[in-house]
Amino acid sequence: MVIDIAKIAETVGSLKDHLEEHRYICSDQIATAVYLSYHLRKPILIEGPPGVGKTELAKTTAEMFELPLIRLQCYEGLDEAKAIYEWKYGKQLLYTQVLKETLDEVLQGAKGFAQSISRLHEFGDIFFSEEFLEPRPLLKALREEDGCVLLIDEVDKSDHEFESLLLEILSDYQVSIPEIGTVKATKEPPMVFLTSNNTREISDALKRRCLHLYIPFPDVDLEQRIIHARVPDIPPELRRQLVEFIQELRDLDLKKLPAISETIDWARTLLLLHAESLDPQLVRDTLNVILKFQEDIENVDGEITAITSKVVKH
Amino acid sequence: MDRTLANFIRALRNSEVRISTAETLDAFNTVELVGYRNRDFLKRSLSLVLSKTVDEKETFETCFDQFFSFSNVHGSRESAEGTSEGGAESGDGEGGGESEGEGGQPQSGTQAGGKKSKTSAYGIEAEKEENLGAGEMTEAQSPLGQLLMHDSKVELSVEMSKAGEQVDVREIQVFTQKGLYTRRIMEVMGLADLDREISDLRNSPQVPMRRLGQELRRRREWLREQVRDYVERQFLLHADASGKRLREELLRKVKLSNVEHRSFRLIQEIVYKMAKKLAALHSRRKKVFKRGQLNIPRTLRHNMAYDGAIFNLKWKSVKIDRPKVFAICDVSGSVANYARFMLMFLYSLEEVMPKVRSFAFSSDLAEVTELFDRNKLEDAIAKTMRDYSGGSTDYGQAFEDFKRLCFDDVDHRTTIIILGDARNNYGDPRSEILKEMYDRSKRVIWLNPEGRNSWYVGDSEMRRYSAYCHQVDECNSLMHLERVVGNLLRTVQ
Repeated sequence: MVIDIAKIAETVGSLKDHLEEHRYICSDQIATAVYLSYHLRKPILIEGPPGVGKTELAKTTAEMFELPLIRLQCYEGLDEAKAIYEWKYGKQLLYTQVLKETLDEVLQGAKGFAQSISRLHEFGDIFFSEEFLEPRPLLKALREEDGCVLLIDEVDKSDHEFESLLLEILSDYQVSIPEIGTVKATKEPPMVFLTSNNTREISDALKRRCLHLYIPFPDVDLEQRIIHARVPDIPPELRRQLVEFIQELRDLDLKKLPAISETIDWARTLLLLHAESLDPQLVRDTLNVILKFQEDIENVDGEITAITSKVVKH
Repeated sequence: MDRTLANFIRALRNSEVRISTAETLDAFNTVELVGYRNRDFLKRSLSLVLSKTVDEKETFETCFDQFFSFSNVHGSRESAEGTSEGGAESGDGEGGGESEGEGGQPQSGTQAGGKKSKTSAYGIEAEKEENLGAGEMTEAQSPLGQLLMHDSKVELSVEMSKAGEQVDVREIQVFTQKGLYTRRIMEVMGLADLDREISDLRNSPQVPMRRLGQELRRRREWLREQVRDYVERQFLLHADASGKRLREELLRKVKLSNVEHRSFRLIQEIVYKMAKKLAALHSRRKKVFKRGQLNIPRTLRHNMAYDGAIFNLKWKSVKIDRPKVFAICDVSGSVANYARFMLMFLYSLEEVMPKVRSFAFSSDLAEVTELFDRNKLEDAIAKTMRDYSGGSTDYGQAFEDFKRLCFDDVDHRTTIIILGDARNNYGDPRSEILKEMYDRSKRVIWLNPEGRNSWYVGDSEMRRYSAYCHQVDECNSLMHLERVVGNLLRTVQ
């Protein structure tokens, strides 16, 4: 069955429903972002605390539109050779070796240096042609015939230089390769998602080329629905309790607040343990699923009984 | 409608949301796609296009609510009716106008009385006036009077915005100008004529004319109210920020010891803003390539794929460390305020200077780093001030304590910043310890809040100390602080 992308993206409501079908429960704001990104052909820069579903949004969008997902994970030291293209040095080398032996044939009859050079020129710039080009994620995304979803993950981890490198592809959907020329996106430009954990400020130049979406922690209702979608087997009462417990935790002063992904993990854990309802001992035993710092665990330890009873009583 | 959006963007910029021309174009495209019909949808969409940080999103929300709640004043006719704008007074004015102004029907006295008690301002005035009761009125003559009697809120608000444009109400800067602009707008709208007419009417022998005079006068007051509201809103949208900017500009230059307590909040904001700017500028960890030195292991490893033929050269490079900063602050009475702001500044720069250790002294010195780790910035500063600011200044003692506490941690990457007036109450300056610090560390920077010309006067030891500092600076305003810290970040990287 062929998916009609334009139809799905016709209204925000339909986008939201389709995302939901693919088990991504989202707020209106998020659906609006995808809607605008599709219609205005603009990349989305997604920011928010870790674990609220930034990467997941890109993945789900790809799934929903049945487009290939091309992912570029950013890290310090990432450069164009790993992000856009590289020459196949080995192959080039091999070909030179081969060519060396047949050089006589090629140059046969050539008189003088000038003539040999012009003969060689007839071969053109074969060594720097598509044959020897190794496309990396960004170039691959541009060449994808029917469009794709390009996910540039954790762009804040990359260097400033790399950010500037992205500017061309983000605004014009093209990259320039000095030896070949400019590669433009095929008829359907990729949908670009960039995610950032805000470890550093993204430059204004990059920001102004993107829509800016901030995904905060979800409220109780939304989170319950997310858990319902992701861990459907969990009993409703336990679901309510654990979501409320997590919401309480987010009000505490912790080093790392539990995000949606932690809530999901916790729900799965509790399901595995056949828990019916929260109790302090159970919480204490499984706390390391939602809190990732020993310091936080120790801080919360004293509050567990109070929060649990508050949540269970409701 | 495009004008509305442009005005909105202008208002946003005024609230310090940075919006480029490209983003403005995006906003226009968005509006074209989304339309004005669904307010929430419009808000969500524009928030994606125009605000690019979490802070900006908050500002955007308030600005949007403020702006689009009374777009009717800007003259868009279709939305003029049926919004909350105007409130009680406008409702009264309208109600009165409908029956008396146009119809001119005789009205029952009870109804008129009821109205008087509703509008208090009118009520008071009315008591002084002769009670003419309701009845026939003549037609108003002056244009503004006609407009008022005509009773069209939309036309009035259009006139009002026109007059506003004419007197450049958007240029309003400080709140004291509100009265001025209100009067100017009224004048442009034809207040003089109206005044004349009212006084003529009131002196007229005929009852219907006097009645009109009363009515006009009442409506003039209502209009004044409306104009004042309009100016107020324009002020909020267009001037609030620039007024604030003016104050910020001043605060940057003012001597920190003269800052009033109520400005602390604003100063703190400025400090954060400055720190953020510096952090953005220096957050990049630079590498320095040692020119011409080949990194042989890396080169070999990278070229293994090419059969050992060396294509790709890798050079040696060094990553530059983040500065290690020791801040020693004199927190005795005379310098306390400066210390407060310097600590605020240093700790706001956590992103680029993660290794700040701070020490406070007046006579005895102690490390307060932990206080800052455990508490919020303001609390930590308050606690430091409370615990260490007593006692008379003794630099010799402080240096000795510093040596005892953490001399081993001072190395060639350390920058020591000392903030103090070097007034040692004629005690032993112990400058030999400072010399040791000077020899060991990368930099010693002395910041003195006093002006340069008073450095060598009285009990100041500045002459002695400055010999053992890499850099001595006068530092008594935020601007100085910014420059010093900026330099610090530049030189160490």
